[in-house]
Amino acid sequence: MHRAGNGDALHLVNVAQAAEGEEFHAPGPGDFEFPALFGDGTFFTKPMLVIVLGTFAIGLFFYLAARRATLVPAKVQFMGESVYGFVRNSIVGDTIGHEGRKFVPYLTTLFCFIAVLNLSGIIPVLQLPATSKIAIPLALALMSWVIFNYVGIRRHGFIGYFKNMMFPPGLPKPIYVLLAPLEFFSTVIIRPITLTLRLTLNMFAGHLVLLLTVLGGEYLLVEKGGLLAVASVIPFAFSIILTFFEAFVQVLQAYVFVLLSALYIAGALAEEH
Amino acid sequence: MSEDQPEKDRPVREVDGWAVISYLLGGVILYGGIGWLLDLWLGTRGFVAVGIVLGAAAGIWLVWLRYSKP
Repeated sequence: MHRAGNGDALHLVNVAQAAEGEEFHAPGPGDFEFPALFGDGTFFTKPMLVIVLGTFAIGLFFYLAARRATLVPAKVQFMGESVYGFVRNSIVGDTIGHEGRKFVPYLTTLFCFIAVLNLSGIIPVLQLPATSKIAIPLALALMSWVIFNYVGIRRHGFIGYFKNMMFPPGLPKPIYVLLAPLEFFSTVIIRPITLTLRLTLNMFAGHLVLLLTVLGGEYLLVEKGGLLAVASVIPFAFSIILTFFEAFVQVLQAYVFVLLSALYIAGALAEEH
Repeated sequence: MSEDQPEKDRPVREVDGWAVISYLLGGVILYGGIGWLLDLWLGTRGFVAVGIVLGAAAGIWLVWLRYSKP
């Protein structure tokens, strides 16, 4: 009975608001749920479409860049070499050093993949950063996790790797009781989690803010009218400014993810010192 | 950086700030969690607070140990 009464009251409120235009629904996590693209029963959703398109775009880009490699590079080749050179010199060179050469292809691919899936958030029509779905950063973080643990174990041996990790030299013995579990916990468990969450939530929040400004502006313009319709200029202006800001954040986050992957690999390879 | 640099003395990396987070978080979560479990087990209160402070301190110390070296 009580519930029904509440429902009635809510209904009245809704009717009252409907009289002066539709109520504004702020965007939320629900905006990240997508139905199957080809009707019920199929599994293919919009984030998957973004992944497939992004993968093809990157593949095509590098294919064109490498197809007719010449000494005097054409435009596409120059761009491809710039990306590769950036990852090799600015990311791997500064963290792993010389022996990092063999990780450059992986890290370059990782960088391009994340950057493109991030940037899909501001590409018209797509307008969804696929990396805001946690499964994608999680899979990528697990890949980096497997790699840095694997190279560490290969370099130092299984016991040597964990000994190197958990017992930083030059400390009084009793302290290790406190620090060794913490080293293990933060390296093996927290690292992939922070990698995942940093990327996911940056994309999630950025997308929400963009949605809010655009939908808010649209609401003022379409539903309110009059003076408020004029005021819709403000959220629309913000949406444009924030789009540029998002572009910056999206590339930065791809950079950070790759940089941390390289840093973790460097840490796993490092000799005891 | 430049090719002729010896591998050992890499430039000081401003990027370490990003990597430090896992130590700080790890300390708080691990020792705060242990404190919380102790509280749950013994029916006390306060171990969780001690654990969090201890974990934060240990995390900061570990960061200092790992990254303060030139």
